[in-house]
Amino acid sequence: MVKLMKYEIKGTYKILLGILALVLILITGIYMYSRDSSNFLNFGAIFMTLSVLVLFGTSLATFLYIVSSFKNELYEDRGYLTFTLPLTGNQIVGAKLLVAMFWFFILGLAIFLYNLMMISIFSTSEFDFSELFKAVGQVVSVKEIIIGVIGGIFNLANFFILIYFSMALGRVTFRNKKIGGLWFVIFLVLSGLLAFIQVQIIELFPYYFDINTFKMGTMEELYNFEISIGNEVSISSETGIFKLNIASSIYNIIELIVLYLGTAYLIEKKIDL
Amino acid sequence: MSNIVEINNLTKKYANKTALDNVNLNIERGKVVGILGPNGSGKTTLIKILTGLLRQTSGEVLIDGNKVGVKTKSAVSYLPDRNFLYKWMRIEDASHMYKDFYTDFDEAKFNELLAFMNLNRSMKIDSLSKGMHEKLNLALVLSRNAKLYILDEPIAGVDPVARDQILDAIINNYNEDSSMIITTHLVRDMESMFDEVVFLKDGQIVLTGNAEALREEKAKQIEEIYKEIFGEG
Amino acid sequence: MEFNSNLPIYIQIMNLIKTKIASGELNGGDKLPSVREFSKEMKVNPNTIQRVYQELEREKLVFTQRGMGTFVTEDTDIIKNLKKDRAAELINQFFLDMGSLGFRIDAIKKMVSEWTNKEESI
Repeated sequence: MVKLMKYEIKGTYKILLGILALVLILITGIYMYSRDSSNFLNFGAIFMTLSVLVLFGTSLATFLYIVSSFKNELYEDRGYLTFTLPLTGNQIVGAKLLVAMFWFFILGLAIFLYNLMMISIFSTSEFDFSELFKAVGQVVSVKEIIIGVIGGIFNLANFFILIYFSMALGRVTFRNKKIGGLWFVIFLVLSGLLAFIQVQIIELFPYYFDINTFKMGTMEELYNFEISIGNEVSISSETGIFKLNIASSIYNIIELIVLYLGTAYLIEKKIDL
Repeated sequence: MSNIVEINNLTKKYANKTALDNVNLNIERGKVVGILGPNGSGKTTLIKILTGLLRQTSGEVLIDGNKVGVKTKSAVSYLPDRNFLYKWMRIEDASHMYKDFYTDFDEAKFNELLAFMNLNRSMKIDSLSKGMHEKLNLALVLSRNAKLYILDEPIAGVDPVARDQILDAIINNYNEDSSMIITTHLVRDMESMFDEVVFLKDGQIVLTGNAEALREEKAKQIEEIYKEIFGEG
Repeated sequence: MEFNSNLPIYIQIMNLIKTKIASGELNGGDKLPSVREFSKEMKVNPNTIQRVYQELEREKLVFTQRGMGTFVTEDTDIIKNLKKDRAAELINQFFLDMGSLGFRIDAIKKMVSEWTNKEESI
């Protein structure tokens, strides 16, 4: 699987690094113009609007590029190579998924770090990063950030695998290559269905896990518990962002595993190229 | 077990047509088998089932005693009828990829074959002509020391010079311990290479046998028999 | 080599070798190419060449020495017989062809002797 990932990355890095370079240049432009406020109303405004549009466009393009790389395996000649390699369906889906995640992570991280750098360069007053981190630290705890990041990665993986599953199912169901776009309909229906089940599960099992206190219980129990220990309840705790619904988290994990195995099964046992 | 390939009652149906209809075929080790038939006769469908790109509707396929899967994929060296290499690659990358995935890949042999085909490792896959593609793909496929080679239409649509190079490469690199399945509708150019021939018409085997025995029995070359069966002028 | 006749390929290749032996292009004791080399040269399946050598060996025209290769027989009687057989085949074919043109034995004999006289006088 690692071997296949190597060739996946080799095959995509030129275009993705190109996109990244374009995005970074645009970000630089935005910062330069926003510093010069006198420019803001005329040319700068147009440039800013354009930049934001292009930023949005490029992130969409990146997403589509990464996602379509799976579709290409199903619909283009390269599938004749990928699917005759001595690899299991699990390994192929795994490689595709991990490389997609890898790119999102790298691009996101690069853009985030670049923004920090730009802030420190263009900020009018003396900019102190330790101040920034302290400010952030007051709102959320490290634990929350870690859980947040893990949760984010997890949701992204879930999202990708649902797309892959829809594509594989679309390919198995409709042999006609011209209606390959139907995967998107399958995707929408499945997303809706899965979200609906999730809501039902949350209503059925309203038990939460608070990662700050490591307490379990219903929302009311946790809330009362926090009130009882005093007035130091943080904003984020109150809004419940970092209280995980236990049943729904388990449901998400099962969903990821089932969709992963399902996609692997479809491409190994069912797809007719 | 002496058969490298065993196919029993193999049927493949698509929504509106039957591509293979109850095919039975055993291929002995060490034989070169020609699967002959015009386009649409079911040759490529049969090959794609053997390589795991298609699933049969019913029937059984065993390669070296195993059902088609990861194990058979590493035993089979497959030349598809299309450009299956990733478009971003140079020949160099394709060579590395084969080396990474197939333990039986012989890089020295590949370099020899590239030289023979007048190709070099720095060429971009994207910029190759049809004939060069076919030659490169064949060089990769023949550089594996596989138990079974499956070549789908290796000389279709290439110019006569490339065709001769391809035929020479196949003969020169054929090894007696492995087996080879070659599909073609260009019978004249390839018939002297076959031990056994299988005539496939509308998804059914209409005639099969030892090539020399058929020549003797019918007092005709395989090409003549082909024309008789398929009514080609 | 193009294989055009209606005979199996192995017989066509056998005939080719027989002709070479009969004409003296291959002498008694000469080594024949290895199966692999010969199959490359003729562009045929190695199994076909294998069969050619087996059949020639059965007819005692060649012999195989383990690890050394395949050689043309050194038995001059066999080579003489081969020549006779080839000659008989040619004469047979000649009479068949002439016959199909409508010539009878007497007419053919006459034509042949006239032809040989002319050849000698040159």
